[in-house]
Amino acid sequence: MLLQQLVNGITLGAIYTLIALSFSLVMGILGVLNLAIAELFMLGGYFGFVAISAGLPLPIALLFGMAGSAILAGVIEKIGYQPFRNTTVVTPMLSTLGFSIILQNVATNLWGSDPLQLSDEVLGGRFMIGPIGISAMQLTLLGATVILVALLAFVVQRTSIGRALRAVAENRDVARLLGVSADRVTLLAFMLSGALAGAAGVLISLHYGAITPYIGVEIGLKAIAVMVVGGTTRIWGALIAGPLIGVVEVITIAYGGSQIRDFVVYGFMILILLLRPKGILGGAAADRVQRI
Amino acid sequence: MMSTYYAGLLADVGILLLGALSVYIILATGQLSLGNAGFMGIGAYLSSYLTVTVGIPLTLALVIAAVTAGAIGVIVGFPALRLNGIYLAMATLGFGEMVRSFFLNLSPMGGSEGFHGMQHISNGYIWSWASAILLLVMILEHSQVWLEMRAVRDDETAAGLVGLNTTIIKVGAFGFAAAVAAVSGGLFAHHHLYIEPGNFSFERSIDFVLAVILGGSTVSPGALIGALLLVMLPEYLRFLAEWRFAAFGALLIAMLLLRRQGILDRSLFRAFALRRPA
Amino acid sequence: MTSNLSRALCVVGLSAALTAAAGGPAFAQGAERQILLGAVVPSSGPFAEWGRANTVTLQMLEQQINDAGGINGAKLHISILDDATKPAQATNDLRKLGGDDKVLAVAGPLTSSAAEVAFPVANEMKFVSTSQASSKPGVAKLNRPWAFRNTIDEGVLGRTTVPYYKKTFNIKSVAIIFDAKDATAATVGGKIMPALMKENDIEVLNADSPLSFNTGDLDVSAQVTKMKALNPDGVVVSADYSQAVTVIREMKRQGMMKPVVGSTQLISSAILKAAPEIPIVAPATFYATMTGEKPEKFVKDLQPLLRKTSGLPPEIEPSMYDANIYEIVSIYIDAIKATGVTGKPEDLEADRSKIRDHMAKLAGFPGLGGPIGFNDDGDAIKAFYILQGENGAWQSKVRGCSAAPGHPGC
Repeated sequence: MLLQQLVNGITLGAIYTLIALSFSLVMGILGVLNLAIAELFMLGGYFGFVAISAGLPLPIALLFGMAGSAILAGVIEKIGYQPFRNTTVVTPMLSTLGFSIILQNVATNLWGSDPLQLSDEVLGGRFMIGPIGISAMQLTLLGATVILVALLAFVVQRTSIGRALRAVAENRDVARLLGVSADRVTLLAFMLSGALAGAAGVLISLHYGAITPYIGVEIGLKAIAVMVVGGTTRIWGALIAGPLIGVVEVITIAYGGSQIRDFVVYGFMILILLLRPKGILGGAAADRVQRI
Repeated sequence: MMSTYYAGLLADVGILLLGALSVYIILATGQLSLGNAGFMGIGAYLSSYLTVTVGIPLTLALVIAAVTAGAIGVIVGFPALRLNGIYLAMATLGFGEMVRSFFLNLSPMGGSEGFHGMQHISNGYIWSWASAILLLVMILEHSQVWLEMRAVRDDETAAGLVGLNTTIIKVGAFGFAAAVAAVSGGLFAHHHLYIEPGNFSFERSIDFVLAVILGGSTVSPGALIGALLLVMLPEYLRFLAEWRFAAFGALLIAMLLLRRQGILDRSLFRAFALRRPA
Repeated sequence: MTSNLSRALCVVGLSAALTAAAGGPAFAQGAERQILLGAVVPSSGPFAEWGRANTVTLQMLEQQINDAGGINGAKLHISILDDATKPAQATNDLRKLGGDDKVLAVAGPLTSSAAEVAFPVANEMKFVSTSQASSKPGVAKLNRPWAFRNTIDEGVLGRTTVPYYKKTFNIKSVAIIFDAKDATAATVGGKIMPALMKENDIEVLNADSPLSFNTGDLDVSAQVTKMKALNPDGVVVSADYSQAVTVIREMKRQGMMKPVVGSTQLISSAILKAAPEIPIVAPATFYATMTGEKPEKFVKDLQPLLRKTSGLPPEIEPSMYDANIYEIVSIYIDAIKATGVTGKPEDLEADRSKIRDHMAKLAGFPGLGGPIGFNDDGDAIKAFYILQGENGAWQSKVRGCSAAPGHPGC
């Protein structure tokens, strides 16, 4: 049973990883908590559902969900972040909260509050490796997560786009002196983050086969914890922290503590914050004090 | 005479005002708390336990709850000294969720089934507390302590160099804020007569922050304006039926765009205060 | 600074304009005599679908009554307010309906959490409030004499559900999983079901380590893996149907095809799509495929209206809660006709008392699923059915009644 629980935990962790990276892209570069990410994730799920229901194959559904959420994230950046660029970090956080309220309401009006369900499992095949069962969709989810994280790491660390992102993260003014358009870079960060949230939404909604407009709330808060544990400055941190939190959760449940699961997870997050404020991998970013 | 409907809304405003003030006090030292609903929950549960199970008068119960929550706030404040900015905000978020999870498992107080048995309080009682605390904060704003708090906010290192004890100031702010949030919780419990852990979630912590930022985060009466807006706006938007909350979200963004410093700020506050015939 | 001032005034003005647009009572007081009733439903938030269907149901009833000449010659008007599935808003809704709109009685609120805080308001303001869905034990009992529920306590329902479940599926052991964040589900899963299992000699395999999750959780794989390892004959799922869907789909994914039992919270058409192969047993007082003149007419009238309402799914069927709220308002109308309620402002207090007294004494009111009355706790005495959901449809297996045998209410 323990091995099966580890598989469960790692699957859950992969989901956390993607959403946590989505949070940390905006947080690491701009220092802003984009609360609408939970809803971009939820909408990504609906976009994926719509695509699959229309008979499109999984990769197209995935791209559709990513594109949809990325565009919405772009809109949020233009209205909810750009005008507040020079304010404290609280104001843009609240304007993204406004978007989150709007998106939840729109999804409820479009698709209803009842769970939308797939009648057949997407990639429902199930493999048995000894005592462990794992579904084809679960494998796809894990594979896609690793590929997406690797892609993101490549973009951030090896391309000129990534250099611009890192330059703005380091120092906005210096970046501008170096000829990097900070406005374009922030838009890009938001859209990349939206695409990741959308991808997570598609993968998860197809894995679980059911979705409501309210799925983003709980998982969003957990993903913030994962982001903190992984550190906001290292992409690989999230890849470790996601499965770590996932496994901690699953083991807590497996050994009789399903009631205290949240207590354990958030307690663990606070511990990491106090002991390793830059996440388990640490980080190079200077101890920037943001003005609240 | 005021209709019972508006009286009910006004009670909500009073309770939210106290929650918002608790965020405002911490914000004055340059820190953001996303977990004040946790302190509110502690106040609600403790005061209800004291009035219902122990049977002591409400005012005394509120004072005990405020002092206890204040002490917890100080305890939470110490480790929080290690953190800054958005990291502190996230630690407080975690704290709030831990408190909620704690009450979910606290079966002597009903756990997820909730807790009853409180006696209903009047609007006058709620507003006596709310206005007294608002007044206290306003007086405090003109004191030496507040200047020191702002100094810590503006530049902590410099404040330390000129001899201010930044630790006491930051931890004290946490303690005071926790006490205020606890009073808000106690009043909430004795107004609604039923509490459950879900009442004290992240959503409520965010409401507190929202009230402060919308109303104006540089003057304490801003919290009052913010609390009024947050309670009344969803009521006034009822004619939009199923689009009510989308409109609320849009208005929220619009208000932030129009007045990013909040509706009340210092210059506006002075403009009103000084506009007397010379 | 002037510009700051003008911007601030602009925001204030915006709010004031909205106040003006929305202000005043929701309807014009014509010269015509009106009978005013109120309803509190969740038209936004996680239960939006139920609240919106309830709204359509009440609008249909209002139309039917007025087309047939109204109530004692007066027109019926039902003010319907949204509580957004937020308990605090439900209390304000009740205050608005009772204090500003001066309604005679209120149908709602829907959830137990909302009823917990709204019923004390009804008691304070002295008008009847009847919930269409709250089934957490003892909620109306705490707020007598003005609180009623047109639902049956889950403890009473379980007494018939569990023996049927045991007999049909030869159940000797179960595992229990519940939604710890939902007060009703947690009470049923944490207290009522364990006690009922003991009464029926069914072993609860996870009695010492309760399994739970939280409303909104997507992943319950760890809980299901643990249940599967216990190898029970059946599974108790105590959760609202939309959460239960997550559990049942996970059971299917892990190949745990064990029969499920639960409370009225499971009844919905959505849950049948989760895993049609897994049988589900739950009690209900109404279901859309019910036979009989009254329920069939109700479904025939309401279903097309629901299906053409935007924001509701095209394949929606009338739910138990639509039936319950329809019955609640029908009972109010019956009371108004029977006790000579005038609906005049000067008689408001007397009228409200008449409705309450009529409800307290009510027996044998012809409801959709059989006769209805109320017990001393304010909960309904009415017939209920043990439904078994299999292959996409609910079927009635046992008819029960929430009163002692021979009671005229059944």
